[in-house]
Amino acid sequence: MSSTIAKLNAPLTQAFDFQPSSELKITPTPTRNILAQQLAGFDTLTNALEYAAQGITGYNFYNAKGHLHSVLPYKLLRNNAHSLAQRLAGFNLARGSRVAIIADTSPEFIELFFACRYAGLIPFAMPVPVNLGSHGIYVQQLRGMLESSQASIAFANLDYVNFLEEATKELINLHWVGTPAQLKELPAKEVMLQPNAPSEVAYLQFTSGSTRTPRGVVITERALMCNLQGIVRNGLEIKPDDRSASWLPFYHDMGLVGLVLAPMVTQLSVDYLATRDFAIRPLQWLRLISRNRCTVAFSQPFGLKLCTMRVRESDLNELDLSCWRAAGIGAEMIRPETLRNFAEKFSSAGFDDSAFLPCYGLAESTLAVTFSKISKGFHSIQVDSKTLVDKRIATTLRAEGRKYNEFVNCGRPLPGHTVKIVDETGQQLDDNMVGSVLVHGASIMTGYYNNPEETRKALKPDNWLDTGDIGFLYDGDLYITGRRTDVIIVNGRNIRAQDIEELAEQQPEIRSREASAFGINDADGATVIVLVIECRLISTAERHSLIKRLQQLVYMAFGVNCVVELVPPHTLPRTSSGKLSRFAARQGYIQRTNLEEQLSVAESGDR
Amino acid sequence: MTKSDYEEIMQLLCNRLNSLANSEVTITSETNIISELSIDSIKLLNLIMEIEDTFDISIPINALADVQTVHDLASLISRIKSNQ
Repeated sequence: MSSTIAKLNAPLTQAFDFQPSSELKITPTPTRNILAQQLAGFDTLTNALEYAAQGITGYNFYNAKGHLHSVLPYKLLRNNAHSLAQRLAGFNLARGSRVAIIADTSPEFIELFFACRYAGLIPFAMPVPVNLGSHGIYVQQLRGMLESSQASIAFANLDYVNFLEEATKELINLHWVGTPAQLKELPAKEVMLQPNAPSEVAYLQFTSGSTRTPRGVVITERALMCNLQGIVRNGLEIKPDDRSASWLPFYHDMGLVGLVLAPMVTQLSVDYLATRDFAIRPLQWLRLISRNRCTVAFSQPFGLKLCTMRVRESDLNELDLSCWRAAGIGAEMIRPETLRNFAEKFSSAGFDDSAFLPCYGLAESTLAVTFSKISKGFHSIQVDSKTLVDKRIATTLRAEGRKYNEFVNCGRPLPGHTVKIVDETGQQLDDNMVGSVLVHGASIMTGYYNNPEETRKALKPDNWLDTGDIGFLYDGDLYITGRRTDVIIVNGRNIRAQDIEELAEQQPEIRSREASAFGINDADGATVIVLVIECRLISTAERHSLIKRLQQLVYMAFGVNCVVELVPPHTLPRTSSGKLSRFAARQGYIQRTNLEEQLSVAESGDR
Repeated sequence: MTKSDYEEIMQLLCNRLNSLANSEVTITSETNIISELSIDSIKLLNLIMEIEDTFDISIPINALADVQTVHDLASLISRIKSNQ
């Protein structure tokens, strides 16, 4: 360890000259490095950065028009992070204190993130406001995360700092709120930066938009390094000539771990497009891949759908996607049609469908759990629908003409990880049987920060993580068939049913346990959120106003429309312990509205 | 921002929102985009792209958090336009 300490502290004198990334000569960092590639295998994030900083690769940021606006080579990142760490040290915080950062796609976020690690502090990323009219609810969400993490310092770039200031009024634990620019103005404290231990917490990852019960996943350096090594060596088989492109938000696990940290621990260059710019003009992402000859780029299925929907024939002529060897797909259930449509559309632009790389993971397991085989494209199986629903067994289709469901193969667990499928009582099920997906291994979180109740729900005896997903194993490969009813996925966003119900219950007319939220599929296969409320209001005007208000609240908090149904008290089905059953509430709604034939068998694992 | 600028933006927004919204609502400056028009997130992204292309502006994501009515959106656009 002593050589590490020397390395960490030696060049401090240079580090005081903070160099803004945007003042550099504007050319992207190269793909080819001068440094021998190391495929992870570091024991901490800062050690990995010390190595990457010896090379010439790094991060590049592009604007909505596809112009490069900032370049942050790993070397500069390391120096700037050191310099900021000296300033953070001036706050004299206890080691392991939490630092909140609103994570727009900017060099400043990455600099602060690493500055925290150098200073022995625990950073966590908070989202940017994305929904129309979301101001009030967004501020509440920030406040929830700040309170739950007991953060000592909070940062935001100029565009977002007013939201942060609003959210931090009267928060007791908070010492300081400001912008990265303000931090740079503070005096540096001359201290020895201590190396981090693998057992220390590397960061928190918040997974819910709830204002009352946010869940901050705790990930140690060891878990992170283990997961990164599996991703880059086994999942992606990273090589020296790889380059990444990403639009994924830095406040999501796939964006942060997969497309910020994984490239850094393999010393690759990355080209970033802000999520908002991708959402409005998705082709900019493909143009980046084409222009910079990127080889590794991940997306949720929804991102691919946006590309397929928005592309024009004339766009295809200017794209050459033949360089793209690993098109990772994850973060929500993968439907085969989404991938087929994308491949069909972009094959004329050189996209090779063997690049499809379905994988499965979640923030509670750092990021990745399983990967399918690299360069083999996506594979799926068709299973008999009736057997799936009646017996909860996946059997391959034997006769023509039977109704079937098709599921995408998500591959096998990374080394050192195990996946098992269990029934409601926790008993392990045989291959082909549908049940809850549990994961075991060194990438698993230590728990939700400061939230023993939620931790108990997720971490089962012997540290098996209950993922909340439903699926089966077939020939050792994992297939995901759906989520349990407590998560609704709309347009690529994971929304917890509980968070929607919580919003409703904040209304004076609605009591606790009188709201139930779930998703149903409409005729086009799109998911619609339904919110059923037990309501005592008689007047039509009052009922109408409540429905409008709830729809508006849900939109502001989650950016989605929803159907609100008011029912008489005692309509919603309850379990023996008095809890509402979302599954039964959903069945009831389907019966009342005669949607029966549209009940998706993919979700038949729900109970 | 000139009065005619705002009027022009308002007119354009009303026309576009009319064709995007599913409902038969008559759109005025006070119409609430969230609760009165069922505009889903994809339609909204399309609308923002059209606005940006038409007026050659960039709408910052943080500004949308304070937009609820058609008037809010129209004045945001004219504010960005006049600051260019």
